[in-house]
Amino acid sequence: MSDAPVTPKPKITKRLSPVPINPETKRSDPSMLTQHQEALRQAMINVFTAQKARRSLERQVQHISPNRNLAEGIKILFDDKGRPPPNAPLEDIVEERRRLEYHVMWFEGLLAELKNRLVRTREVEEYAFEMLSQATNKE
Amino acid sequence: MAAPLFLLAPPRSYTSLVNAMLGQHPEAFGLPELCLFNVEYLVELWRGSEGPISENGAVARHGLMRALAEIYGGEQTTATVNMARAWAGAREHWTSAQVFQEIVAKIHPLVAVEKSPSYTMTVDRLRWMLEAFPNARFLHLVRHPVGQCKSLMAINEGAFAIKVEAIEFREDVCVLEPQIAWYDLNLNILEFLESVPAEQQIRMRGEDIMGNPQKYLADIARWAGLRSDPDAIDEMMHPERSPFACFGPINALFGNDPNFLAGPTFRPNKPKTPSLYDPVPWRDDGKGLYPEVIELAQSFGYE
Repeated sequence: MSDAPVTPKPKITKRLSPVPINPETKRSDPSMLTQHQEALRQAMINVFTAQKARRSLERQVQHISPNRNLAEGIKILFDDKGRPPPNAPLEDIVEERRRLEYHVMWFEGLLAELKNRLVRTREVEEYAFEMLSQATNKE
Repeated sequence: MAAPLFLLAPPRSYTSLVNAMLGQHPEAFGLPELCLFNVEYLVELWRGSEGPISENGAVARHGLMRALAEIYGGEQTTATVNMARAWAGAREHWTSAQVFQEIVAKIHPLVAVEKSPSYTMTVDRLRWMLEAFPNARFLHLVRHPVGQCKSLMAINEGAFAIKVEAIEFREDVCVLEPQIAWYDLNLNILEFLESVPAEQQIRMRGEDIMGNPQKYLADIARWAGLRSDPDAIDEMMHPERSPFACFGPINALFGNDPNFLAGPTFRPNKPKTPSLYDPVPWRDDGKGLYPEVIELAQSFGYE
């Protein structure tokens, strides 16, 4: 051990997680818990997943109004007359610029994905029309 | 080939910032989270491995894709990330060690600096690192358990605690208990470091580095055999200059903690270290840290 911050060598003891380690995989294995413990653990995960989904939905709702978010985001850069404050910290301005760039990047990514889907859908549509016209000609 | 420097720490232990700072040293190259030693073979990063801590999410590959794009393509764009996928496809049956060695050889003579907190989830993963690089150096970065646990619970609703089975059974209920993750992951690191020669390992408190980065970064640089002159230290004070200190292109956005990617600039601060004996904020029963956690934290120098 280096001499930088001097700390005593800790002793290695038993791990605290109640989930046993599977000796074969050397990883925590919840299937080795008792039935009662396994049920409690599953209930906890169910609650966790439900809470996570609810919070994620709340965030999604916020994203529905991106214009409002963007306006909120750049508000700090301007005073009530629309002028930038004379003493705006450089860090805040840089941070805001980066944030806006990320917003733009996300929207560009979204746009690229939508364009990609549009191209594929058009291909499927054209193919379907072609098949339809061939079938009509045969009739 | 210059032996890499690995940061070992549970998540939320200042690893992103310290990794980026060290990576800005003129003689080093800071990598994003490669997650390579999460698996034995490269293909498993795509295929996923079995078990509760399997790594099969695309996000686990973002760091590797961005690193390959930067190192081999000179920039991180959608096109170079696609090139990186092809690079990986051609090496899918290589071991993780071989892939990492290839990357390290490519950036030689710069010293690779890497951290993937998921390595600390099993001792095996840590051992693979040493097997791949017997001369590697290991910086064990520690953080106060209360600060680390609060931060862990604030990100992704504390999902990482579930991933490492950091749970506590009470009479009729099971709850998440992040201090178990803090303890067990640090224990894995300590067990692994038993097999590492003393001169190849060092332990530091993240709070110390945040409070006095010039001193402690210089200490680390000297220990790692790197320059510790003022110019080198000054470079390390600017983690935001790293090519990985921002979001990547749309097909490899992450490769690091999103909070760090959104704001990588280092702002000097002296983190508060709460008492080890007070009730902890994430518990609803008014209890505090486990005696084992307090003992381990004390051995790391916390009071």
